[in-house]
Amino acid sequence: MQKLFSYLRSYRKECVLGPLLKLAEATLELFIPMIVASVIDRGVGGGDKGHIIRMSLVLVALGLLGLGFSVTAQYFSARAAVGFVTKLRHALFAHIQRFPYATLDRVGIPTLITRMSSDMNQVQTGLNLTLRLLLRSPFVVFGAMIMAFTIDATAALWFVAAIPVLAVVVFGVMLLTMPMYKRVQERLDRVLGTTRENLNGVRVLRAFRKEQDECGRFEHQNMELTAAQQRVGKVSALMNPATYVIVNLAVIGLIRTGAIRVQAGILTQGAVVALYNYMSQILVELIKLANLIINITKSLACGKRIQSVLDIQDEEQVQSGLPGGDPSVRVEFDDTAIAYGGSAGEALSGVSLRALPGQVTGVIGGTGSGKTTLVNLIPRFYEATRGRVLVDGVDVRAWEPAALRAKIGLVPQKATLFRGSIRENLLWGCRDGTLPSASSAEDRPIQDKDLMEAVEAAQAADVVAAKGGLEGEIEQFGRNLSGGQRQRLTIARALVRKPEILILDDSASALDLATDAALRRAIRALPYKPTVFLVSQRTAAVRHADQIIVLDEGRVVGLGTHDRLLETCPVYREIHESQFRKEAAV
Amino acid sequence: MKAKKNPAAPGTGKRVLTLLMPYRLLILSSILLSAGAVALTLYLPVLVGRAIDCIVGVDRVDFDEIKRLLLWIAACAGLTAVMQWLVSIIHNRVTFQVVRDVRNRAFRHLQQLPLSYLDRHSVGELVSQIITDVDQLSDGLLLGFTQLFTGIVTILGTLGFMISIKPLIAGLVIVLTPLSFVVAKYIASHTHSYFVAQSRTRGEQTAYVDELLGGLKVVKAFGREARAVEDFDAINDRLETTSLKAVFFSSLTNPCTRFVNSVVYAAVVLAGALLCVSTAGTAAVFTVGSLSALLAYANQYTKPFNEISGVMTEFQNALACAGRVFQLMDEAVEPPDAPDAKVLSDVEGKITLDDVSFSYDKSKKLIENLSFTAQPGQRIAIVGPTGCGKTTLINLLMRFYDVDGGAIRVDGTELREMTRASLRANYGMVLQETWLRSGTIRDNLILGRPDATDAEIEAACRAAHAHSFIRLLPQGYDTVITEDGGMLSQGQKQLLCIARIMLCLPPMLILDEATSSIDTRTELKIQSAFAAMMRGRTSFIVAHRLSTIREADVILVMKAGKVIEIGNHDALLARGGFYAELYNSQFSESF
Repeated sequence: MQKLFSYLRSYRKECVLGPLLKLAEATLELFIPMIVASVIDRGVGGGDKGHIIRMSLVLVALGLLGLGFSVTAQYFSARAAVGFVTKLRHALFAHIQRFPYATLDRVGIPTLITRMSSDMNQVQTGLNLTLRLLLRSPFVVFGAMIMAFTIDATAALWFVAAIPVLAVVVFGVMLLTMPMYKRVQERLDRVLGTTRENLNGVRVLRAFRKEQDECGRFEHQNMELTAAQQRVGKVSALMNPATYVIVNLAVIGLIRTGAIRVQAGILTQGAVVALYNYMSQILVELIKLANLIINITKSLACGKRIQSVLDIQDEEQVQSGLPGGDPSVRVEFDDTAIAYGGSAGEALSGVSLRALPGQVTGVIGGTGSGKTTLVNLIPRFYEATRGRVLVDGVDVRAWEPAALRAKIGLVPQKATLFRGSIRENLLWGCRDGTLPSASSAEDRPIQDKDLMEAVEAAQAADVVAAKGGLEGEIEQFGRNLSGGQRQRLTIARALVRKPEILILDDSASALDLATDAALRRAIRALPYKPTVFLVSQRTAAVRHADQIIVLDEGRVVGLGTHDRLLETCPVYREIHESQFRKEAAV
Repeated sequence: MKAKKNPAAPGTGKRVLTLLMPYRLLILSSILLSAGAVALTLYLPVLVGRAIDCIVGVDRVDFDEIKRLLLWIAACAGLTAVMQWLVSIIHNRVTFQVVRDVRNRAFRHLQQLPLSYLDRHSVGELVSQIITDVDQLSDGLLLGFTQLFTGIVTILGTLGFMISIKPLIAGLVIVLTPLSFVVAKYIASHTHSYFVAQSRTRGEQTAYVDELLGGLKVVKAFGREARAVEDFDAINDRLETTSLKAVFFSSLTNPCTRFVNSVVYAAVVLAGALLCVSTAGTAAVFTVGSLSALLAYANQYTKPFNEISGVMTEFQNALACAGRVFQLMDEAVEPPDAPDAKVLSDVEGKITLDDVSFSYDKSKKLIENLSFTAQPGQRIAIVGPTGCGKTTLINLLMRFYDVDGGAIRVDGTELREMTRASLRANYGMVLQETWLRSGTIRDNLILGRPDATDAEIEAACRAAHAHSFIRLLPQGYDTVITEDGGMLSQGQKQLLCIARIMLCLPPMLILDEATSSIDTRTELKIQSAFAAMMRGRTSFIVAHRLSTIREADVILVMKAGKVIEIGNHDALLARGGFYAELYNSQFSESF
């Protein structure tokens, strides 16, 4: 948790002043029974009306002063809590941005989103409450005890006896129930999961006539949930009655001792009232404290979850001293292999391949054969576990990641666009709307002409026109576009950067065949001649490539041109025939 | 959205009461017990006050009376604790069981709702009705109910005791307390707008985080990390400002009401002490013990007010949630099978569509006057552009939806004259949207035939070319997968769905893009198994790969809800119509 708290450092003042002012307010409260005692003894006992009026005014003044303290305290703690979480959110978001793909795969995006939202909110609430109450409640409890000692040490022993017993009850119930609450949450999650699953699979379940079984399954889980809830309910129901009894037993003791001490002339009646009032204050604070501790435990759990993400140190390191290769080769795979974390086998192995500037390399293979893995090694989204990958003769691990990726235009399998105008989406890869070039002196602003060139090459001119030009709005995730429209815009987005290396990862799957063919023609005709990696399942898409690499279950089973592979590579031939077999027969 | 409809319709409260009816005895006893507990809690300061009155000074201490009173106090405290405990136990029981009952009923209802309802509502919305809304209902209504009840009893009881001690001072408290109410209300109404602003900005940030983290791989691919952080910070800073206002201003309520309370307290001290002095020695003496009891009450009296105002909002929220749950439970279920409905058995597989018309939105026509007959064992391919009605036709064949006009018959029996279960039992369905449940691979495979033996399962998987990858999973057939298959690729999931059907082999088949995610080479390999499966079974095949379709006995070419061409591949190609156009576009390409 240390790292988390370091973000609290700039709120040191607030974190100290807030609780201190709260303490001041609580101290004022502790004087109230003393004042009432003096009203009783001096005012009532001595018949001093002036004293009664003065003391009543003092009570109001104390209230007013307390109001001032606590309002200031609330402000400090709100500032610290909100400011801290704002900083923490920034830090976590920026930290996540640095994660390599492998980390993202391992941790999972939904988890990260929860960390960024609900966990953060809980931490904010928890910190705010902690600053406001954590010191206050124990202070009032112990303060009441100390005040009791100032009145009468013998009577105060009842406080010394009651407080540990109360603590045992409160913490005992909490310790017992915490794991039980966790179990309730787990079972609730299960009920929720079953409901969601049932709704998602409603067609299949009804087709298999599983309605009754599903009800049985649901009712069983629901019953388990209820049982867990009742169990924890039984334990936590003990808290209030038990503390009530303890405090009242202490009150009985106090009055007895008080009576004896008054009889002995050591104590006054007002002092007994004051002792009783202190005991009552303890009861009130205990209930608050119990609620607070539940809240803090929750927040600590959330804080730990945030911390665990911050602890992941998986940044891509730029390594030096790696041997280089032939700088005239744009992309080179040198006996490369990769195994994903957690799985035993290599997802891809034995890849050796050279792509010269301007060459088109086709990558083909069945589902799960390793095509995407192969192209993801070029921008160092994943790192080779064996062998190496070189771009322009330099190992990708020696490249500054940003510089490496600036050379590459990638069109991922899943077409993802972002909320904003088409122009904003197209300019995604271009910082400040300029075209990054090899030497920064040549940077020039991107003009509409550049954008439209990319759009036309990507066969997306009609998409842009349909949305009302470059300013047309795109919704979150590109929801207001069809799959094919999205794909063409993502291609255009990659082309705007005029990349030296263009990677198309099965990115024409939603296009009809004529558009797909036109797209490939346009890419061939690009004036800046990028080195192209074209991933596809279909031989028609790669047949005109300069070289085709054929993958099967992570192994390279062929490398060559279409015509040569048809002769030498049985897997390639099978793929080809599965797509064109009828043509031969017709 | 639903919320606008004001779901807390009149009668919601009444229906909540009917839910509670089975527990009325428990609830009644809980009410009596909590009333008792409250009364005793309030009585205790009186006893303490009396005991204090017995301790006036040296030689003015009545030990016998004190002993008696202390015994009373102990008895009262013990009894109160037992009552409090019983109330909690009963309360838990009723709450959790009502929730359980409501959830079970809602879920059972869900199983009977027509797909037309489920398709129109998002899964998230329905799940939140069954989970979150029901939770809120229990929290708000039941907890709120007891809190409200004890709150009112406490206020009335306190008032009663105070009046019985000293009407004058009681009057003073009554006049002053609404002040805290006013203050709380004033703050609440002013912080509301800050809360709205906070939740709006928070929503904006969540949406941004959702989008940017969801697309983080693209962000990285385009080197846009720094810009993403900048944009995030802009929202983050705005959130800080609105959040600070909302948190700070809402946290003012407690100090302010506490201040009002301390004014009330001071007033009681003043009035009470003066009374003590002025009545000293008279017959109507106002004792210190009474004052101490009054002070204890003055402290207690304002608390339930604050609680009640909180409870009221929760109450309204709970009623709104209850309204949503009831709304779900009021949705008309699928009309039950006719009492004389036939159980479809020994199916030959002759399927007739006779002048069928159907549309989801009754104002927009979709399928009209569709007539056609599938002979037993025929393979019928359905071809056409997106939105032409292919999936709708499947919905009608499976009777997920009922036709608006005309009739569909299987072996001469109208669908509505047979039981749904027996109709669906005779269809095997593989959909493009694969669905697997959380559980083992085996659980998923035996969905249609729970009694299948291991050998049968393996045979089906071998035929579907799923055995080889299942074997490589950590625990083979017993590997637990999450919903949506997690580690499995889309193609592997489709193979599992195919194996699932190959295991139970019903007499009629519906294959909706069943091989869309399987690579062509694997598809070719399972082709023979598919062919064997379809032999002698009337099969409907939806596919966009025309190569899959050309072997069909009949091809239905659909466009905008109508069958525009019908015939086999060669006949349709010869006709040179829409089908020929589609087919040629697939092979006319060149690079």
